[in-house]
Amino acid sequence: MLTFTEELLLLLGDEEGLFLPVKEHAFECALAGAILMDLAFAFRIDTDLQALVVTDPTLTGNPMLDYVLAKIAARKDITDTPAWIRILATEDAVVIREQALDSLVERRILKRQHNRFLGVFRSACYPTLDDRPVQAIKSRIEAVISDDIPDPRDLALICLVDACQILPDLFPEWEAESTDSRLDLLRRMDLIGRELTGTITEIQDRIIRAARAQAERFRKTLLSLAAVGSATVIATLLVPRIGVPDRWGPSLQGLLWFDGFWKQFSGYLLLAFSLAGLTVAVAIKKQLLAWVSGSHRWRLSHIVLGLGCVFILFLHTGFRLGTNLDAVLMGSYLTVLLSGALVGMVVGGAPRLLKQVSLHRIGTARRTLLWVHGLAICLLPALLIVHVLSVYLY
Amino acid sequence: MVQRLMQAVLVVSLLGAVYMIVTMTVAGDRRLLPGGQTTDAHHQLEMACETCHGKSVFAGAEAAEKALNKNCRQCHEDELKAARDSHSRKRFRNPRMAQYWDLLDARRCTSCHIEHRPEITRAGAVTVAMDFCVACHSEGEQDIRTTRASHAGLDFTTCASAGCHNFHDNQALFEDFLLAHAGRPEPVRPAVHALSARYLARPVSADKALGREDAVAPPHALAEPGALDHWVESGHAPAGINCTDCHVPRPARDAPDTEALTHWIDVPQMGVCMECHKPQARTFVLGRHGMRQHPRIAKPRNTDSESGRAVPAWMVRWLRDPTVPAAMTVGEARLPMHADADPSSSLGCSTCHRAHALDMARAAVNACASCHDDAHTRSYFDSPHHALWLREQAGEAPPGSGVSCASCHMPKLEYRGQVRTNHNQNDNLRPNEKMIRSVCLDCHSLGFSLDALADAALIRQNFAGRPRVHVPSIDWAIARSLSNPEPPEN
Repeated sequence: MLTFTEELLLLLGDEEGLFLPVKEHAFECALAGAILMDLAFAFRIDTDLQALVVTDPTLTGNPMLDYVLAKIAARKDITDTPAWIRILATEDAVVIREQALDSLVERRILKRQHNRFLGVFRSACYPTLDDRPVQAIKSRIEAVISDDIPDPRDLALICLVDACQILPDLFPEWEAESTDSRLDLLRRMDLIGRELTGTITEIQDRIIRAARAQAERFRKTLLSLAAVGSATVIATLLVPRIGVPDRWGPSLQGLLWFDGFWKQFSGYLLLAFSLAGLTVAVAIKKQLLAWVSGSHRWRLSHIVLGLGCVFILFLHTGFRLGTNLDAVLMGSYLTVLLSGALVGMVVGGAPRLLKQVSLHRIGTARRTLLWVHGLAICLLPALLIVHVLSVYLY
Repeated sequence: MVQRLMQAVLVVSLLGAVYMIVTMTVAGDRRLLPGGQTTDAHHQLEMACETCHGKSVFAGAEAAEKALNKNCRQCHEDELKAARDSHSRKRFRNPRMAQYWDLLDARRCTSCHIEHRPEITRAGAVTVAMDFCVACHSEGEQDIRTTRASHAGLDFTTCASAGCHNFHDNQALFEDFLLAHAGRPEPVRPAVHALSARYLARPVSADKALGREDAVAPPHALAEPGALDHWVESGHAPAGINCTDCHVPRPARDAPDTEALTHWIDVPQMGVCMECHKPQARTFVLGRHGMRQHPRIAKPRNTDSESGRAVPAWMVRWLRDPTVPAAMTVGEARLPMHADADPSSSLGCSTCHRAHALDMARAAVNACASCHDDAHTRSYFDSPHHALWLREQAGEAPPGSGVSCASCHMPKLEYRGQVRTNHNQNDNLRPNEKMIRSVCLDCHSLGFSLDALADAALIRQNFAGRPRVHVPSIDWAIARSLSNPEPPEN
């Protein structure tokens, strides 16, 4: 029988062997929750509202479960379920994931395949060899969500999938309203269900709380950085350009904005930062640097690079918008930066925005801004090539 | 769909980039490329990049700058020579001047004049700080504050701004010139511009004079209202210039009248005027009104056989260098123009002189004021200069005593013993001290002229009033001559 971790990974995979975009914090917590659920279903641990305790330290035969069981047994000072979720999510999520993938590859359900993006970035994908287990899991979920009386194990799996928020991706044909009401019902059933189901619910609840706490921290940081980015870009448009002193001799402004060497330096630095930002975005999208997209760290690094670009753009231009094609380049570049910063603000401020506008509208705003971001980026290579060549040729 | 749109934008923009690269390297319109406006003088020819830039865009930076400087000199060298350039390239190419090359390399025009940088472009298209004299004249034997007692304590920002010095043309400041004019009284009124008076009194031969009945033109041209009257009253008919002399191209002009009229051109181009008025035409293309016909303006690249990069015929349609328009138009002017002036009106001989009337009085004042709408022009009509002009036109004052726009901006000059009008209206405009020798001294003392030309407010008022600034050049020259009996060194 597959473990919860293995089932969760199978559900996350797509036809190309890549994985559905899941927020890193939710995914790591879901992996930690999955391993605790496996231990709970194996009757090795017990949880209540206050504590998580080892009830049976006997080995299960699964190396990963046994490793986690030993770890919990060894740390008697930590009896808090959310604390264990955090610890396992932080320290062991990668190992849990790799062990589960190895197991799936060994069972010939998945195949491990290595690729190189742009000949540099190494990445692995896991195309499906045998899709029967995936279909079976999906059928179980579909049956429970549709109308069937839930099995505790299915209920637990649904909790994990729900924590990763991938149900709409797995079953796009479902109508959100009916699914949500059914999920609510299932959750209520959990609450009045048997003790084991209660435990699962508690873990799931802990997963969601832990994920939310982490998400909140991420959103605050994202919102702050994005707000600074937006303000700086708008300032670039509104602030009058900084003049050059009319006195003989070297001046910082003169060096920055009219000296050939420093203009080249800041120009190439800007290009490097832009390429780094693009690389991070591609890496997140193509899952090159983190196993899942939506990684906090990479998202934040993307927006920090964007902020760096705004600063270097100031060093390169001193708030000058240019003329002719240079003005188009500047406009496109500022559009990229502003739309990116606004996406950050929408994502970061989503919980607060939800009090005033619907989730649908927030989603539409985010998508629209991302389209603008992408379209403006598409203009940049051509404009940059012409800009650089025209500077050197004339 | 959005992804496809992004791919389409990427592909289309990259194709656009390829097109722009081809325009940069082979042929095509490059007017979208400059990262900054050109200066007022050069904006008329900025579509012909090779006029200033070297022909090979793949030359290294050093070669490209050399080509740029060479092209500067090709157009401006004569002007600098005539101004007895104080900081000539020849002087600074001398190895003994090497110590100054790192301070301000006067061998290169681009040390002080860089195009496409409007933000740091000051008066005279200078792109370095206006106190640039400090670079060389603040230490050693060139420290002007120690070598000239009168200059002790002066700030370098005042060198070029107080009406005293210019980098190239300092003729108005030569000490012997200052001393020669020191204490000389104002000329007796009404003063007369000697060359203008000579020009107006030039004899006209009556032998060749033509009358209405002599006009050779097709019926539709003869029927044009006023054309015949204007021609008879103009200088052309008395000088024996018939209609066919302008309206028929040269080879057919000498044919019998009936045959010549088969080649009739209703609106002849400026080249016809140039056939007889060469000196005027030569100076016209040097000024901003006519510089688009300057022979140094580069030809389109795809017609340039020298380049060896002839564009295949099928591509020419898509890749064609824009040709510089034949004439400047009112709409392209950067100076303030009258709102009701026709923006498409181009500048040729007949713009000011009219095709048949050749009205010199109109060309000298009203033609200018029909387009230019700045404070200096508007104030002219309330100025003492205009009053003198009206008196001369009314016959109340001697010929040459009136002051029109052309009197100052297109002064008369002597060419091979004959008096001609300098049609380069920018010739004596900047620095404005250039006007002193060619114009002002006819009627004013040097001291008054120096002061008046240094007073920007008075210039805006078109000299209606007295100067409120004083340029101490003459005082200092006298003081120096008294303390140093050696002849002044210019």
